[in-house]
Amino acid sequence: MGIQVSDSIYREICEFLYLEAELLDTGRFREWLALLTDDVRYHMPVRVTRERGAGTECVDTMAHFDEDRRTLEVRIRRLETGSAWAEDPPSRTRHFVSNVRVQPGQRDEEVMVQSNLLLYRNRGDAPQADLLSAVRQDVLRRVNGNWRLASRTIVLDQSTVATLNLAVLL
Amino acid sequence: MQTHPPSEFLERLRQALETGKLPLAVFSDPMLYALEKERIFARTWVFLAHESEIPHPGDFVLRYIADDGFIVTRGDDGGVHVLFNACRHRGRQVCRAERGHATRFTCPYHGWTYKNTGELVGVPHQKAIYGEAGLHRAQWGLLSAPRVERWREWIFANLDSQAPPLDAFLGGMQWYLDFYTNKSAAGLEVVGAPQRWVVQANWKLGTDNFIGDDYHVAITHRSAMDSGLLPVPNPDFLFDAVQVMAGPGGGAFARMPYTLLGYPEAMVEAFKRNLTPAQARLVEQGLFLGNGALFPNLSFLNAPASLQPGGPMTPFFTLRVWRPLGPERTEVWSWFLVEKDAPPSFKEASYRAYLLSFGSSGMLEQDDTENWMSITQAARGYVARELYLNYQMGLEHLQPLPDWPGPGTAFALGYTECNQRAFWQTWLRYLTEEQCETTER
Repeated sequence: MGIQVSDSIYREICEFLYLEAELLDTGRFREWLALLTDDVRYHMPVRVTRERGAGTECVDTMAHFDEDRRTLEVRIRRLETGSAWAEDPPSRTRHFVSNVRVQPGQRDEEVMVQSNLLLYRNRGDAPQADLLSAVRQDVLRRVNGNWRLASRTIVLDQSTVATLNLAVLL
Repeated sequence: MQTHPPSEFLERLRQALETGKLPLAVFSDPMLYALEKERIFARTWVFLAHESEIPHPGDFVLRYIADDGFIVTRGDDGGVHVLFNACRHRGRQVCRAERGHATRFTCPYHGWTYKNTGELVGVPHQKAIYGEAGLHRAQWGLLSAPRVERWREWIFANLDSQAPPLDAFLGGMQWYLDFYTNKSAAGLEVVGAPQRWVVQANWKLGTDNFIGDDYHVAITHRSAMDSGLLPVPNPDFLFDAVQVMAGPGGGAFARMPYTLLGYPEAMVEAFKRNLTPAQARLVEQGLFLGNGALFPNLSFLNAPASLQPGGPMTPFFTLRVWRPLGPERTEVWSWFLVEKDAPPSFKEASYRAYLLSFGSSGMLEQDDTENWMSITQAARGYVARELYLNYQMGLEHLQPLPDWPGPGTAFALGYTECNQRAFWQTWLRYLTEEQCETTER
């Protein structure tokens, strides 16, 4: 059985999400990577407009991200090369995390977490910014007393992505 | 207010292009853009969809030629239909989903109903309001794209009913497209749906890059090599590629055997059987067709990536459309395709190689779009009208390969701009000539 969600656990989970956001917004990607389990799955499906009756808008066989720890590490290693032009100079990002809901997980030491994300992204001296809104469905696992991200599904509130590339993590 | 570029500006463009120069303003000028929509996108063949996206009767996807939206359906008659997405009564879009399955499209405004072949089959209160003979439904079906033709399973449409057939338009380029499509007799299939995203960049930069810019790879994509994603022995591995141009397209054969790319040996053997002997010999010589593009806005890429940094490579294939949304805005449509009968493990690895390298989050694509956004910004101002860019690589000294087995022209040098100049010449011909036949090159 997953962990029962007490007030203190809820607070720990919120702290985890805020820490993660801070690490991503300050370019501390290696520290962010350390918050992931070895078997993490990081998934952002492609979404298409469908009628209400069609059920889900998410395409189950195509994604914007479909990553494991190894591929996320390659993405971060690229940012460290000094020639990752898409992020050098880096975007100014702000991850706003809200509407955090925590439920017992399906496995030992796990909780299921849903949060809303608003990602502000600004580049260069352009005054305008890209805004990406999404809901994130996470599984967090307690490993040796520390929370780790074991799974994340990001459902973007757009079918056509309104930013020039996804060189940023959500 | 002037809406079209003055003819003397186009004449200066033509003269400049002959000496391998182009004003930077071509990547931003709103008057050129207005002319492009009229002279190019309303007159040439534009890729809309792959048949594997609509395999069953009733399947549909929504696609665009510049601003014009079309429903691409597999009709109940089994045929492919390309229908302008507007009710014939008041113009309301009758298809509201990007993809799905429907036998009929009903307009939510007044209820006019069309079959998935476009035929008008229902008008509420028809007899009472139009009279017994007042509305000839056969004349009021959804408007079909003036021309719809297929090359293999690739569906193209043309808004000009007088345009030459697709086959004539593609010309010698078809010989090269085989290298993308013939790895298996079963053909390719689209996986899932295309990724779509918007870049603040001019649409021509995509074609200009994919048609022949091998020169940028060592610099723009340096991080992919340094991070182990693209473990090529030498960043300038495309220096000695073979550039080809034929009909309204072009591309480059890299010197790397298909097996080194990561295609299973059995697939390479089948590939050779599905090619003509002349084509198969190029495969045996260790050439593979990597990047390519077709005028105006379709591009191709067959390339490898390592899923384990520095490890063995896995190949992928992507089709992309640079849909113009404005002089400084492009919507990228990026499809991932894989051989229908490939082993599931190959399909899975190829999908991951694609996601890591190209598409919305692809680590190589990211740096391309950053370049194009930057060029478009520089092109915006006054200076760009008189600032000429250098397109002179290979202009004077490069001779075509005399014994090249394929159609068109080939050069034994990846770092040349012959293909880009050919693209711009085609572009200029469309902008300035009333009748625009593709010349066989």
